[in-house]
Amino acid sequence: MPMLRSLLRPAAALAAAAALAVPALAAGRTMLNVSYDPTRELYQDVNSVFARQWKEKTGEDLEIRQSHGGSGKQARSVIDGLEADVVTLALAFDVDAIARAGQIAKDWQKRLPDNSAPYTSTMVFLVRKGNPKKLRDWNDLARPGVTVITPNPKTSGAARWNYLAAWGWALRQPGGSEASAKELLRGIFKNVPILDTGARASTVTFVERGIGDVLLAWENEALLVVKDLKPGEYEIVVPSVSILAEPTVAVVDKVVAKRRTRELAETYLRFLYTPEGQEIAARHYYRPRQAEVAAKYASVFPKVTLISIDEVFGGWDKANAAHFADGGTFDQIFGVGR
Amino acid sequence: MTRATIPYRLTALVVATLAAALGPAWAEEPPPPPSPSDAQKIEELEQRLKVLERKEELAKEESAAKEKEAAKVSIGKDGFSVRSADGAYQLKVKGYLHVDSRFFDGTPDDATDFTDNLLLRRARIVLEGTLGKYFDYRLMPDFGEGRTVLQDAYVDVKLAPEFRIRAGKYKPPVGLERLQSANDLYFVERALPTNLVPNRDVGIMLHGEVAEGVFGYAVGVFDGAADGANIDTDTNDYKDFAARLSVQPFKKGRLFGLQGLFFAISGTYGSSLGGTVSATGLSAYRTAGQVPFFAYRAGTTVAATTILDGDRTRFSPQAYWNYGRFGVQAEYVESSADVRRGADTARLSNTAWQATAAVMLTDDASSWKGVSPKQPFDLKARQWGAVELVVRRDRLSVDPDAFPVFANPATAAQAASEWGAGVNWYFNRNFRWMLDACRTTFRGGAPDGDRPRELVYLNRFQISW
Repeated sequence: MPMLRSLLRPAAALAAAAALAVPALAAGRTMLNVSYDPTRELYQDVNSVFARQWKEKTGEDLEIRQSHGGSGKQARSVIDGLEADVVTLALAFDVDAIARAGQIAKDWQKRLPDNSAPYTSTMVFLVRKGNPKKLRDWNDLARPGVTVITPNPKTSGAARWNYLAAWGWALRQPGGSEASAKELLRGIFKNVPILDTGARASTVTFVERGIGDVLLAWENEALLVVKDLKPGEYEIVVPSVSILAEPTVAVVDKVVAKRRTRELAETYLRFLYTPEGQEIAARHYYRPRQAEVAAKYASVFPKVTLISIDEVFGGWDKANAAHFADGGTFDQIFGVGR
Repeated sequence: MTRATIPYRLTALVVATLAAALGPAWAEEPPPPPSPSDAQKIEELEQRLKVLERKEELAKEESAAKEKEAAKVSIGKDGFSVRSADGAYQLKVKGYLHVDSRFFDGTPDDATDFTDNLLLRRARIVLEGTLGKYFDYRLMPDFGEGRTVLQDAYVDVKLAPEFRIRAGKYKPPVGLERLQSANDLYFVERALPTNLVPNRDVGIMLHGEVAEGVFGYAVGVFDGAADGANIDTDTNDYKDFAARLSVQPFKKGRLFGLQGLFFAISGTYGSSLGGTVSATGLSAYRTAGQVPFFAYRAGTTVAATTILDGDRTRFSPQAYWNYGRFGVQAEYVESSADVRRGADTARLSNTAWQATAAVMLTDDASSWKGVSPKQPFDLKARQWGAVELVVRRDRLSVDPDAFPVFANPATAAQAASEWGAGVNWYFNRNFRWMLDACRTTFRGGAPDGDRPRELVYLNRFQISW
């Protein structure tokens, strides 16, 4: 009892000091969006518009930081402690990896419309003006003498989409089988001289360093090069079949709980689904989900037959286990191909 | 063949191929255009060259990225440190060594001629750092004076600069000079007021800085150390409460010369009952020469011994100011305690104050947190470091009611007054030499009146990193 009495006064003082100190922690608003490689320009625009809207709505100044790199590598960084309030990654599998690490709720894909993929894209071929090697479809990439630029499927979301698009194409050919698909990919990767870690690095390799005959690229990245960066120097070749790429977004629950930024992060991601957010996506050559915006930009995007991950590969978990996990088909092919 | 030589060899190959294809430059006839097969070969070679260059570029990028992610090891004037790339994990190894000498003025048969000493006053290794971004730690054993004492051992949870929680053993937030690092003291030994505040205690403390250090606060619960004591555990259920509020009102302002002005007020409150002969809750007081000049009565039984028996409070306003080459500091401490000896009880208030002034003789800035010479000692460059002169006046008065029941007036002085003067030569941030002369006079403390004055010369070689 004497101890209790003796502690009462200090405890009250500690509580008072804590009450004074805690409000000071709430000052300042920042947010980190950890994204994949080619979305730099997209999110610069999104962030600028959203921060302005947030200021009008709440009166708070908001600084949104961006981090970009290969999607798989970015997911690894978040798992290892990079404090992202939101992730906007190239594929659901990478967000799932963060969820498996306990930082995002398992049901994250149901929280936002369209499986938390506010825009889509696909994979196309970017070739030099005049398409000197006459590359038309996936089988052309395996021809001897063709140099193909694509990033590393171990670290890059784009590379995985490329790989699976080629695999899916091979399966759809007459007599197509797992064996013929594997043979096609082996042929393609024999023609890959450099494996960059991310899509933007591969664009640099192809466009800035002048290496290769074809870049397997995100459609948005290819359109950016053809229309904005190097008009007249490159062409886009749309293969007969490509893949429906669905970059996904999610709030990182553990981080927003700790930083008290859940409302901000959720509002930010919902903004991507608004007409304004969809317009920004379309302007950066991402295919918008909203019908009105999609109709407005229909002429920008070439028509292409798209296969989906679920339909051909039974979902990302199965696709990853079969192709990109250690010992998967990519390891078998690339090891032999080298 | 190294990676770097490959591009050069290929360049040579391309050039040779081009030369062979295009013919000598001095030929009068224009060279024939390359055949399609030659052009293809050249293009292939160019592509190979570009691929090699790009691979080298990527290897460099990868190497730079790895370097960025790698732990950083550094060694310098602030010691040895290892930190992870993101700074979330750190280990710093620091330490300091104070090699002192104390020479007392007096003849061998003089009562004031205490033993002259060469001693290791402090020999401390400091391990401190961060674990997981929010959790700082510090461990500091001291091997000085032939003993091993754990001085600091605590964890500091730093949720924000305004909100930190410290738990373990450390200096309670009381006093001024006591809270100054031993490496930064103006004098070899602290002034008399430090006798009245606890040295080290075990406790939990909430502390922080507000408005970028303009305001500071600390409030905590401690076992309750006696004046000047360094304890590791408690001997009763009662705890002490300690707090300190500080302000540097002009820290962020532009008022001429007042940025370095600092004020604080601190205090403790606690209780204790049931003291014993070996744990009285009371302490002796010492001079600059570390000679005890006051002690409460001690006996072989509790009844014959003066013990703390009730409340103990301390109160200490304090200030310092550094401006250019000048620095001053002042503090006042009042330590009051309910004491008992046998059936006799009293509430005694002992007080002390000090005022210290310092001036740099060289063109260096005076600082309460240590001097960094602009021109560190370097014989070849004819640089001599920084030199500082210091002077202080301090006094400690014991409550007159302590005598004769609770303290023996024939051996315990009622008051001590000190004049001190000294010189500090800072060779660099890590090494300094100090020389002080401290003269203390007493009231009472001897069978026949006043205890003889003490004049001690203190010398220190100090190295810290």
